[in-house]
Amino acid sequence: MFKNILVPISSEYYSKEVLEKTAFLAEKFKSRINLIYIIEEKVLNQTDKLSNGYRTPDEIAETKKDIIREQKLAADNIVFEDAKFFFKKRNITFKEKICEGEFSNVIKKETKRKDYNLILMGFEKECFLNYRLFNDIDIPIWIQTKNEGKSILSVCSNLAPNQKVPEVSIQLSNLLGWDLNMLYIVDIEDSVQVDKNGKRSDKKPERDLLFNGQKFVDDMENKGINIKLVKGSLEKVTLKAAEEINPNLIILGREQKKKGILGLPFRHLKRKLAEKCKYSLLFVN
Amino acid sequence: MNKNNNSNGKFKVAKYSNIIFIIIAFLILIFFYFIPTPDGLTHDGKVMIGILLMAAILWIIEPIPLAVTGLLIMIIQPIMHVIPPNEVFASFGSQAIFFLVGAFIIAGAIEKHGLHRRIALRFLSHFEKTPRIFTFGIMSSCAFLSFAMPAHGVAALFLPIVVSILIAMKITPRQSNFGKVSMLCVAYGCSIGSMGTLIGGARNPLTIGLLSDLTVPINVTFFDWMIYSMPVVFISLPLVWIILQFSFPIEINDISEAKKEIKNQVIKAGKMSKKETIVLTVLIITILLWIFFSSYTYFGLAVIAILGSIFLFITKTINWNDVEKRVPWGIILLYGGAITLGIGIQKTGAGNWIVNALFHTVGINPYLVVIVIIILTVLLTNIMSNIGAVAILLPIGIAISSEIPGISPLLAAMIIALSAGFAFMLVIATPGNAITYSSGYFSTKDLFKAGSIANIACILVIFAIAIVYWIGYLHI
Repeated sequence: MFKNILVPISSEYYSKEVLEKTAFLAEKFKSRINLIYIIEEKVLNQTDKLSNGYRTPDEIAETKKDIIREQKLAADNIVFEDAKFFFKKRNITFKEKICEGEFSNVIKKETKRKDYNLILMGFEKECFLNYRLFNDIDIPIWIQTKNEGKSILSVCSNLAPNQKVPEVSIQLSNLLGWDLNMLYIVDIEDSVQVDKNGKRSDKKPERDLLFNGQKFVDDMENKGINIKLVKGSLEKVTLKAAEEINPNLIILGREQKKKGILGLPFRHLKRKLAEKCKYSLLFVN
Repeated sequence: MNKNNNSNGKFKVAKYSNIIFIIIAFLILIFFYFIPTPDGLTHDGKVMIGILLMAAILWIIEPIPLAVTGLLIMIIQPIMHVIPPNEVFASFGSQAIFFLVGAFIIAGAIEKHGLHRRIALRFLSHFEKTPRIFTFGIMSSCAFLSFAMPAHGVAALFLPIVVSILIAMKITPRQSNFGKVSMLCVAYGCSIGSMGTLIGGARNPLTIGLLSDLTVPINVTFFDWMIYSMPVVFISLPLVWIILQFSFPIEINDISEAKKEIKNQVIKAGKMSKKETIVLTVLIITILLWIFFSSYTYFGLAVIAILGSIFLFITKTINWNDVEKRVPWGIILLYGGAITLGIGIQKTGAGNWIVNALFHTVGINPYLVVIVIIILTVLLTNIMSNIGAVAILLPIGIAISSEIPGISPLLAAMIIALSAGFAFMLVIATPGNAITYSSGYFSTKDLFKAGSIANIACILVIFAIAIVYWIGYLHI
């Protein structure tokens, strides 16, 4: 399922949990792992910008060189050493490299260079990192947090094609032995129906959305899946359900929420969920 | 192809937002030029308030370099017929400017020969007993070195030293409290140390420069400054260190790897070279001369600074190429703009008018005024360059002293200059914070958490020192 896993680690944010989870998944799926340590360009630029005026260009360049050298040292002596610790004891082989650049750009470049089935990474909202890749990349992205639960919460809605999410959720539940709980959310703030190809319809009456939702729920129940139909705001309902279930992982698809409260424009659903959610997330893009 | 388009698009957005802020800044100036003059304010005073607001926007947002804003302030005053050009450019004759130049040349020589690194390692090696004491060692070493050279240079020096030690100790970035405290000690140690002498931060010479240009000049010597500032440094330093210990309790007990790494680095540095000895001698003599002979009855600050730097040239420990590489001329231009802004605000009566308007409702309780100035300065220094914050607030502070009994210009200036050093909360507050943040050992949340508590504590420290020591004991 996840034959090639890409693990990007930013110089701005490092979490051992990501390596631990990578080792766990790689062992289960016999995956090959590529670890990339990204020296975050934005942090370097920020430092340069702030020093500009107070320090000379030569001094700024010297400091930049020092920062890069120390970050490479940190990658070699701490991050890659931790990786060896987690992977070697499970006999998992991995490749590592260090890149300089902007987080999303480096990952996009790497995914063009090689076929990956999963990107596994950490997340911290206070970082300067650009998480544009949540929407720009069509490879599943797994965001690992410290929280450990006992099951999977799989989220489908009127705002997503709901093709891959049930499939991936069932597969993962079977392979990892985690219980599967599914939700179908009818988002009343953005009342459109997204079709199988990911196209948004015009605004639809609530009863039509509920009808489609019920149809989906019936299909899943026939497959023996524990599923609930819920009406409300996609992100709020997801977070509330997560608090109740305490899942190991929340799985979401290509949700296309464009309107929020009172029909106001809504952006960055995935990023907002990652910011507010203390549970691990898998975006099946 | 897509990627290029995206990055071009972003670049354009960034450029547009800069242009918008520049336009807003100029519109404010034009607005102030044309609105009717309020009672108690002259037309020139009204324009100067417009220039002050324009400068504030440009220094906070930085759509153009800080130094260019400094130049803009200088030329806009004669253009608007507020102050004649000869008077504006005469500000560059200030001895504080040449003090800065001399101090930068000496700091350049220290950096060129790696003397600062040797001093830092020697200092650190005395604090290898426990992890807690080691972090105090980092903080006090940074503060100590910031007495003799610009604080940003000290932060840049300590970054590789401390990170190498942390890596040798296998301290994991973000996850270790010891790592967080160590790096935050560098950032805060430099900021606190920069208040101690006139060399640590360019805002300090700016303050004494403006004081010496007042209608009734106030001359502050190197030693006077230390007498005023050192209690703030020596109380804030351990206090902020204690706050860090409580905010991030250290999880390790063993410091042996750090000891080894420092020893390695000392061995790598080798024996002290002849040129290092010369630089150290010049530095010590210059500081002693500053302490004992920098009053106007003797040589003044600038003469000693230039004398020290000329001696470095004579002994060939530094050459002109090094000066070009290591003296940030932009600061000098920024300084020029800041000082003319201060003089303009004072001469046109704009400062007095602002103070009257501000404190009309608050009242004239000096204690209340002191705390308001401190809080305002600390807030402003956290969102903009600290020299910019001082440049904006100093003229207002000096105006306060002429309107509110119990507050002298020197007191107001010291409160503003020292409070501007407490840039603890945000990465953008000071280059020292940004340099240490780049290590990856702490998050912006950690900085804000420790920084906000440290800022509150330091506001109380400076308030207590202002009331008890400066007003009560020194009667300034």
